[in-house]
Amino acid sequence: MGKIKTIVKKEIKLKVMTKGFLIGTLLGPVIILLFSFGPAFFIALSEKKPVNLVVVENTGRLQSEFQKVFNDTLENGMSRFRITFMDSLAFQQKQNELFAQLEKGKLKAVVVIPSTIFSSGKAIYYSKSASDIDFISNLKERLSNVVNREKMRQAGVDPLLVERLSTPVKLETRKVQKGSVQKSNVGQVWAMAFVFTMMLYMTSIFYGNAVMRGVLEEKTSRIVEILLSSINAFQLMLGKIIGIGLVGLIQYLFWGLMGIVGFVLVSVSKPEFVKYLQVQPSAFAYFVIFFLIGYFQIAGLFAAVGSMASSEEDMQPLSMPVNMLVIIPFLVGFSVIGNPGSSLGQILSFIPFFTPLIMFLRVLLISPPWYEVWGAIALNIGAIVLFGWISSRIYRVGILMYGKRPNLPEIIRWIRYA
Amino acid sequence: MNVLEVNNISKQYDGVKAVDGISFAVKEGQIFGLLGPNGAGKTSTMRMIMNITAPDSGEIRLFGEPFHDALKQRIGYLPEERGLYPKMKVLDHLAFLGEMKGMAAKTAHAQARQWLERVGLAEWADKKVQELSKGMQQKVQFVGTLLHQPDLVIMDEPFSGLDPLNTKFLKDILLEYKRSGKTIILSTHLMDQAEKLCEAICLINKGRVALSGSLAEIKQKFSHNVVNLEYDGDGTFVTSLPMVERVNDYGHAMHITLKDGADPNALLKTIVEQGLRVYRFEVAETTLDEIFIDVVGGQHGQN
Repeated sequence: MGKIKTIVKKEIKLKVMTKGFLIGTLLGPVIILLFSFGPAFFIALSEKKPVNLVVVENTGRLQSEFQKVFNDTLENGMSRFRITFMDSLAFQQKQNELFAQLEKGKLKAVVVIPSTIFSSGKAIYYSKSASDIDFISNLKERLSNVVNREKMRQAGVDPLLVERLSTPVKLETRKVQKGSVQKSNVGQVWAMAFVFTMMLYMTSIFYGNAVMRGVLEEKTSRIVEILLSSINAFQLMLGKIIGIGLVGLIQYLFWGLMGIVGFVLVSVSKPEFVKYLQVQPSAFAYFVIFFLIGYFQIAGLFAAVGSMASSEEDMQPLSMPVNMLVIIPFLVGFSVIGNPGSSLGQILSFIPFFTPLIMFLRVLLISPPWYEVWGAIALNIGAIVLFGWISSRIYRVGILMYGKRPNLPEIIRWIRYA
Repeated sequence: MNVLEVNNISKQYDGVKAVDGISFAVKEGQIFGLLGPNGAGKTSTMRMIMNITAPDSGEIRLFGEPFHDALKQRIGYLPEERGLYPKMKVLDHLAFLGEMKGMAAKTAHAQARQWLERVGLAEWADKKVQELSKGMQQKVQFVGTLLHQPDLVIMDEPFSGLDPLNTKFLKDILLEYKRSGKTIILSTHLMDQAEKLCEAICLINKGRVALSGSLAEIKQKFSHNVVNLEYDGDGTFVTSLPMVERVNDYGHAMHITLKDGADPNALLKTIVEQGLRVYRFEVAETTLDEIFIDVVGGQHGQN
């Protein structure tokens, strides 16, 4: 045990006292926030500009309803939609020019409303992109509203009643957790889940790769055999994995402190923002638990990969499958963020390598029963032991082998060596 | 007392027998040479002694005990392929190696500092290993092996890649260490080094012991009566002298092999009486190099 501690101490000293660690610790949150909120930020930015629409209106009766339905304003008081109306004839004459504007992005969309709209309910949408789902569904809802209002007016319904009947519904969400109902902002929980997922993913990949590189360095610098004259291969691997894992936790500690300082600064200077920053304290505990599970599951395999390679170039193809074990759950995680209650999410949250990310997301978003959470954790600890054992068998042989990288039958033979 | 006993160990890698039934013993206080050509199985044997790999069969006893982890602290091991952490500071690195051998952190630091002073690297203590020259790094490696004052030192090809200065440095350190009563095992394919340093050897070839025992005994056994002569005059008569087996004449120098039991003194007397001018007359001892070529070369020839 004492010697494992010596290795752990050395790993921490070698990794923490470096410029790389300092830069990573300072820039890590910036990069994660950029990745998480960058796209949303750009969307928000684009929402600050008015949207230009051309409506080809052939019924001649909808203009006033359009004005009422598309009456939102931007933060700066300008109206959000700039609508130009024209009839079919004008549209046919100007079609080329309008389409050119669509492609340049000066015009967001052209909507052609045929005179038969009241019976057919069909309109045509021209735009540069047909996959702008949010905007299209928003537009569809508004168009339906416009058409329905006009239908009601025609049917002789009192205009005041029309206003009252066509007030859109707004959803306010509540999250049920531990028997109590909490008012929550879906966007806020989602964003938090996203940031945490991103952090789990980046740190697992980063520290897993650090283990791999460390093992390869010990092998290529030829210190490994000297170390093996003091401890056995399993202790050496364990010491390295624990050491680098602790470096990860130290980094989280720094980030946690930065977070607390940031929170205090915000709550002093802009108290109105505090309500956006509410995170359950248990989320941090689960974060650390799932980081450790994910890391220990993958670190042994990364160590085994490092031990099999004899050079950086060797390592790339070997590390692919192991990196995939982190990347695939991360990609699947996106669909689970969107639909955390799905049975796919439930099943995946029990499968090793998927558990750390998927179960963590479920814990954040839907509070699954405790026996599911701890059952998955127990299952994953079993997986850590199994994969740790396989990895240590490979590692033990690999660190003393130089030359060509082993193929699969050779790796299997290594595992079975006495 | 035997510090190390190796009994009939074998090791196979992918169907190739790297070590095939090797046995030898090392007495306390000896410098013991594990000799053999490249690929003979020296490194495999040393790794098994350190329990870095396990033998397929056979038994190894260290200090009279079968292997257990605590024994590693009593041994200092320097493998043939050796390196250091390039980014670590020299003093920290040595202390780390000491702690790995069970030294307390404080003691390890203090000892490391003393050693650095002794080998003239005191001012490099806080530099990173990668800033050191190759020769300095080699010194650090030697110190790292001896820092915890092991009872047994095992070095695999310690002299390979050393410049003459470091060769002398290592030789002096090893001799001094031996004189303090410790045991040293070193493998080498450089026979002149082994001949000067070792008291006993085990020569292995193709995974088997070709020759083992004390160096003096072995030399005696392989001794041929060879005389090196440098001279002036007509030396053709030497070939036909009764005590001479064969002659290799260069005109002013000749190597003379005497018949078994012949006395070199009688040869010298005859030569002088025949009027040859003798500049040099030397009864040559067989070198380990020649024994090596005899034993290993002979076995190569058989195949």
